This record gives sequence, C-alpha cells and structure tokens, in this order.
Amino acid sequence: MDEKKAAKLRKLEAESADLMEKIRTEQNDAKKRRMVARQESLQGKIVAIRGNRRISRDTKRSLVAYSFIAPNFIGFAVFTLIPIVFAFILAFMDWDGSNAITFVGLKNFLRLPGDTFFTAAFRNTIIYVVGTVPLTMISSMGLAIVLNQKIKARGFFRTIAFFPYVASLVAITAVWSMIFHPSKGPVNYLLLTVFGVAQENLPKWFSGNLVLVTLILFSVWKYMGYYMVIYLAGLQGISAELYEAGSLDGANTWQKFRYITWPQLRSTTFFVVVMLTINCFKVYDIAVMLAGGGDGKLSTSATVLVYYIYQNAFNYWDLGYSSAIAMVLFVMVLVITLVQFWYEKKLEE
Amino acid sequence: MKRKLISVLLAATMVATALTGCGNSSNGNSGKNDAPASTNQEDKADGEGTDAEEPAEGEDAAGGEDAASGDGTTLKWAIWDKDATPYWDALKTAYEEANPGVTIEMTDLGSTDYTTVLATELSGGGSDFDIVTIKDMPGYATLVSKNTLEPLDTYISDAGIDLSKYGGVDSQISVDGKLYELPFRNDFWVVFYNKDIFDAKNVEYPTNDMTFEQYDELAKKVTDTTFGSQVYGTYYHTWRSAVQLFGVLDGKNSILDGKYDFFKPYYDMVLAQEDAQVCRNYADLSAEGLHYSAAFSGGDVAMMNMGSWFISTLMSSIKSGEYDASLCGNWGMVKYPHADGVEPGSTLGTITGLAVTSVSDQKDAAFDFVEWVSGEEGAKVMAETGNFPALMNDEVSGIIAGLEGFPTDAESKEALNVSNLYLEAPYAENVSEINDILDTYHKSIMNREMTVDEGIAAMNDEVGKVLGK
Repeated sequence: MDEKKAAKLRKLEAESADLMEKIRTEQNDAKKRRMVARQESLQGKIVAIRGNRRISRDTKRSLVAYSFIAPNFIGFAVFTLIPIVFAFILAFMDWDGSNAITFVGLKNFLRLPGDTFFTAAFRNTIIYVVGTVPLTMISSMGLAIVLNQKIKARGFFRTIAFFPYVASLVAITAVWSMIFHPSKGPVNYLLLTVFGVAQENLPKWFSGNLVLVTLILFSVWKYMGYYMVIYLAGLQGISAELYEAGSLDGANTWQKFRYITWPQLRSTTFFVVVMLTINCFKVYDIAVMLAGGGDGKLSTSATVLVYYIYQNAFNYWDLGYSSAIAMVLFVMVLVITLVQFWYEKKLEE
Repeated sequence: MKRKLISVLLAATMVATALTGCGNSSNGNSGKNDAPASTNQEDKADGEGTDAEEPAEGEDAAGGEDAASGDGTTLKWAIWDKDATPYWDALKTAYEEANPGVTIEMTDLGSTDYTTVLATELSGGGSDFDIVTIKDMPGYATLVSKNTLEPLDTYISDAGIDLSKYGGVDSQISVDGKLYELPFRNDFWVVFYNKDIFDAKNVEYPTNDMTFEQYDELAKKVTDTTFGSQVYGTYYHTWRSAVQLFGVLDGKNSILDGKYDFFKPYYDMVLAQEDAQVCRNYADLSAEGLHYSAAFSGGDVAMMNMGSWFISTLMSSIKSGEYDASLCGNWGMVKYPHADGVEPGSTLGTITGLAVTSVSDQKDAAFDFVEWVSGEEGAKVMAETGNFPALMNDEVSGIIAGLEGFPTDAESKEALNVSNLYLEAPYAENVSEINDILDTYHKSIMNREMTVDEGIAAMNDEVGKVLGK
C-alpha cells in the first residue's frame, strides 16, 4: 500500500469516526438517516482501499444503475437539459444565431417592462390561465361525475366528451371559426334573431376583448374530455362503502359530494390543476389558429408569451431577448407549481 | 452549497462555450476547440478567421478540379414551392443549356416558413448552399445581419453590370452602400377588375389615370347591396399592404419613417367602404381566411388591388377551368389609383432576389448564375412563364401581354408600364420588427379594436421605440 493510499485511508477513517460521533448526538431523524447513509458509503470506501480494490462495491452498484438510466438521460441531456441551460445563459446575452455572442447583463430583462407587446402577451397569458384552469377543472369534474352514473349509453357519451381532445386542432378551429363567424355564424345569427341583438352590436368573437373569451371557451371544450378521464379514474378509486355509510347516516347528494367525493378526489384534483396550469401557460397553437387570421399573426389583443418568444427568436433573431422572456415564463410556472405543491402538502398534514 | 452552485455555473459556461464553438468548428477548424476558455472577442476573431479560411481552402480544391476538367460544377440553390412555381425549373434548364458542365441542384424549403428555415440552415455555417433565393425584405435583412451573404459589389463591377436597368430598386435594397442580392423577379401592384360586372351595371371601366376619389366613387357606383345579388365594388385583402401602403405612393413617405399619419386618409376610405358594404368586412375575411383569388374568382367583386403575380394565376386557372370563366373570365387591369397631383403609374412592388452565400466555396460560379438569372436571358425565361422579371423592358412586357389569356384591351397592356416603383418594404435593419408592428396595429384598426387615430399613434410609438434602439 503506497503512501497516498495510506493518507487517504487515514483521512477517511477520521471522517468516519467524526461522523459516528455526530450520529450519536443528532436528534433530527431525517438528518440522522442521511448521516448514516454517508457513513455506510465511507465504510464501503475504507473497505475498498483496505482490500486494495479499485472501486468499492457501492460505486459499482451505482454505476450499474446509472448505466440503465443512461440511454434516457443522454437523450434528455442533449435535447432538453443542455438547451435549457443554454437558454438560461442566453437570457443575459445578445445573439442573433450566427454572429458572436456578447454579454449584456440584465439589459434583456430591463427591456421587458417597457415592451408593449411583452406586457400584452403577459397579461393575455395570465387572463387565459386564470380563466381556463378553474373552468376546465370544474367542467371536467362535473362531466366525470355525471358519466360515472349508471346511465344508458354511458360509453357513447364518454366518447363524445373525449372526442374534441382527439380531433385535429386545425379541423376544429376551422369549425369554430365558422360557428362564431362574426356575420354568418350560427351563434351570431341566434343572437340576432332570437335575442334581438342589433346587427352592429353583434359580438366579434375573434377580435378585441372577446378573443380571449373565445380562446378560453375553446380550450375548456377541447381539453375537458381529457381531464374527465383522469377524474373518472379517480372516482372509480373511491370505495363504494363510503357512500353506503353516508347513505345510512342520511347524507344527501350534496353532502356526499362535499364530504366524500371532493376530499377523496383531492390528489386527482391536485394533479389536474398542476397539469392544467402548466399546459395553459404554454398556450400557442390555439391562439394562432383561432385569432391569427390568414397570416397567423397575433395582434396585441390575442398575443401570448410563447408566440412572442417564437417571434423574437425566429423572426427577429433576437435570441437573447427571447430567452429572457422564456425565463420569465419558466419562473412564473415554477413558482406557481411550487405554491401548488406547498399547498397540497399543507392540506395533507 | 455555494461550491456546488459555482461548479454548476462553471459547467454551464463550459457547455455554452462548447456550443458556440460548435457552429464554427463545423467549418473545419479543429484547433479551435482545444482552447478551453476563449472570451467572446477571441471567439469572434476565431470565427472570422475560420470563415475566411474555409472558403479559401474549399476553393482551392474545387478550383483545381475545375481547371483540370473544365466542368462538373454543381451549384446548390435554395428555393420554395418547386411544383407550384413554373419558373424554377425553367431557369435551371435554360441556364444549364447555356452553360454546359454546370448543374444546378435545387432544394425546396417550402414557402410558408422559407425565410425562417433558410436563416436556420445558414446559421452556424453548416450549410452547403451556394445560391439562395431571397423571398422578402425581412428575410434579406435577417440574412445580411447574420453575415451569411456575400457582398456582391466587386462581382458586379467586375462583370460590368449596369444597375440603372433595375429602375432604382437597387438603392432601396442596398445595405450601407453594399448590395447582397440581385433582383430577378419584380411584382408590382395593379387593380384587377371584372368587366362583366361593370357592363351589367352600365358603369364605365376604371382607367389608368384615376385619383383615389374617382376610384372610391367608382367602387360605390358599382356596388349592389341587394341580398342575393350582392356585388362588392372593391376588395381589400387582409394584408396591410393592401390598405395602408396606398399612402407611400406619393413618394414623400416610407414605412421606415416612424411617422404614419399619412396612412389615415386611406384607412378612413377603406373603413367607410366597409361600413357601406362596398367591400367585405375585415373581421369576416380574417375569420374565414378567404384567399384573395377565391374572392375575385367568385364573380361578385368588381375591383381588387393585388400584385402582378395574380396575372399568371388568373390566366392559368381560367384556362384550366379551375375558375369559372363565366364569373371572372372577362377581366382587365389598370394602374393603381393615385393621389391628387401625383403622376399616375406609381405603384408598390415586391422584389425577389438571388444572393450568394458567404460559405459557398464556388462564389464565382454562383455569381455567374445570379447574374444570368437577373439579366436579360433570365428575364426572358421569367416572362415566358407569365412572371415579371426585375428587368422590365418593352420586349419583356410584350412577351407577357402576348400570352394566351392576357386581356386584349390597350389599357390592360398599358397598365404594365410602371413609372415609379416603391418597395413594400425598403431595406432597413429592423424591417422585420417594423413590419410586425405595422401588421399588428393594422389588424387592430381593421378589427375596430382601435380607432384609426389610436392605431396610428400606437404605430408611431412602437416603431419609434424600435428605431430609437
């Protein structure tokens, strides 16, 4: 055993002894567990050096595990992780994709508040999320509860509710454009003839303030089928005994929902809300298809963050600025998701 | 914890340097990546070094081969919509016939996002295109600012090309005094009209010398709002150039000025026409995504301002029976209306150009192709396919006016003579951003989300920000 190894061994042993002492006095369980794990790995290393093995059994075991993760992780790293890290860095840079990158500090972020199109996109995205998430959640849960009853042709109705989710976005936006067509659409025709709205006051569903309402309605309609399926799964996981017990105690339908269904569905609701929020922040295709008109360009009344990110990156080739906007979006989604997790944890306790 | 953060940042920086290196390293400089922490300055110098070095090396190889065999040059050319556009193949064939030994290889990048795809292809120098077609001004500005195009000035003076034959267009596309493309196609806007509608209403045809007032009056006169037999006096496509660019025809204003108050009379005119149902409503058109060709060929639009590219579409689609000849077969065209006191024949134009990439290793051969296509021989080929070459002369307009299906009246032939051509978008570094801002508020005005004044004020503000940057 050469000197270097001996020195290392001594160091490891000293650390191990130290740790042992600490473990004995530590009160916090979680900390203690972590220390014990560390102690085990130290012991493994000491054994490896004593036995003159190159790598310890522990490391070997980890390596085997890593090799299983590797194929997936390499793909993730190349196509997701590195680009994300790169985007983080780009947010502080000025780059057009071919000329040299220059560092500009916070300039990209400082530009944001004064940018009319960014603030419009930001506002629209928030309105869209705030409108879509609760509406989709409520309507998909309602659908799930209704379609969980033993009614005739239940499978048929479930399919119908799920259909918008499966149908091609392009096809159904074309249908919506016709239904809500400002002068020839059946919706406005009904408003005109049945509700007596004057011709000049007929709503223009795809422009002005209404366009966001149309987007929200569309997205609720398209995605509620998907979340309904998740809720159905959640509902079927609720034990029938609970309802039976409720009935025996004389609970009415509302009370059963309030005290059995809703609490039992909490984790499902949590999942649905988190996924919905994340998906809603990413809105792009629906906005472009419904409000983009012929050329797919969004005016300030309908622009959304992802659209503006794309615009800056691939039309203006201002990759730094577009990364900065992407960071804003990222942080916003991250914070909201963390808050949701924290709230869920609090409820659990 | 702190140390962990630092090491993560360090790793990230290394990744970034590796990535920025990537683009250039594909140019074939292997020594570059060995220098671990190059600063940006070094990076830049290095990048330029590789750029300059690489073509030279490539040229040696290609040049040597050329000299030895005298043929076997293959030029790669980026285009869009190969099957729908007749002139790509015609140009390729004609050039190859005139220059034996040269093969032109076309790559179709599709028309919808041609510019974006091309800019991505040319980023980082990994592309092997020799010649690229420049579809529009924003694309041109992007590619120039990315340093992906070769300045053509020395080639132009070496070849002795007289730029004045392009009628002043060259000055609208020069970047700091340098030209990076030569135009080969030039489309200009005219007013198409449906003679049958005017005949049925017993209204005289539009003329080559109309003021906007006369045009507006004529449109109102021919309009019929009776339900079931509706006729629209005019039609404006949803593009902003169809409405607001009437304003630049007096030659005093340009969309790069940052002040857009000159749009106002034309917005007022078009919105008033919408209200009187003289033209279709913008909100409807935008919801339907109606194509302008469908609008005109439907036979209920009396006049439509549109680019000259529609001529060949009209001729071929009527001939093939795709458009009902009884609805729109009897068409004619006249020059754009003009403001009071402005010479008739001023119109908007869009040019399509060819450029040589800076990474090409056979720039001389590539320029020869560019010169040929944008020159007289290319112009003739373009005209024979019913398209307008950038190089217009009597021979060329004679070819087009003589094509089968072209209106036979003298006015329509005369409409091909343009006195002043203003590009829809002249070159400016920020032309993409300006374009998008104008597009956005055009939408807002036409959708009546904003009044004309509010919209114009917003254009002034936002473009002002871009120009002031």
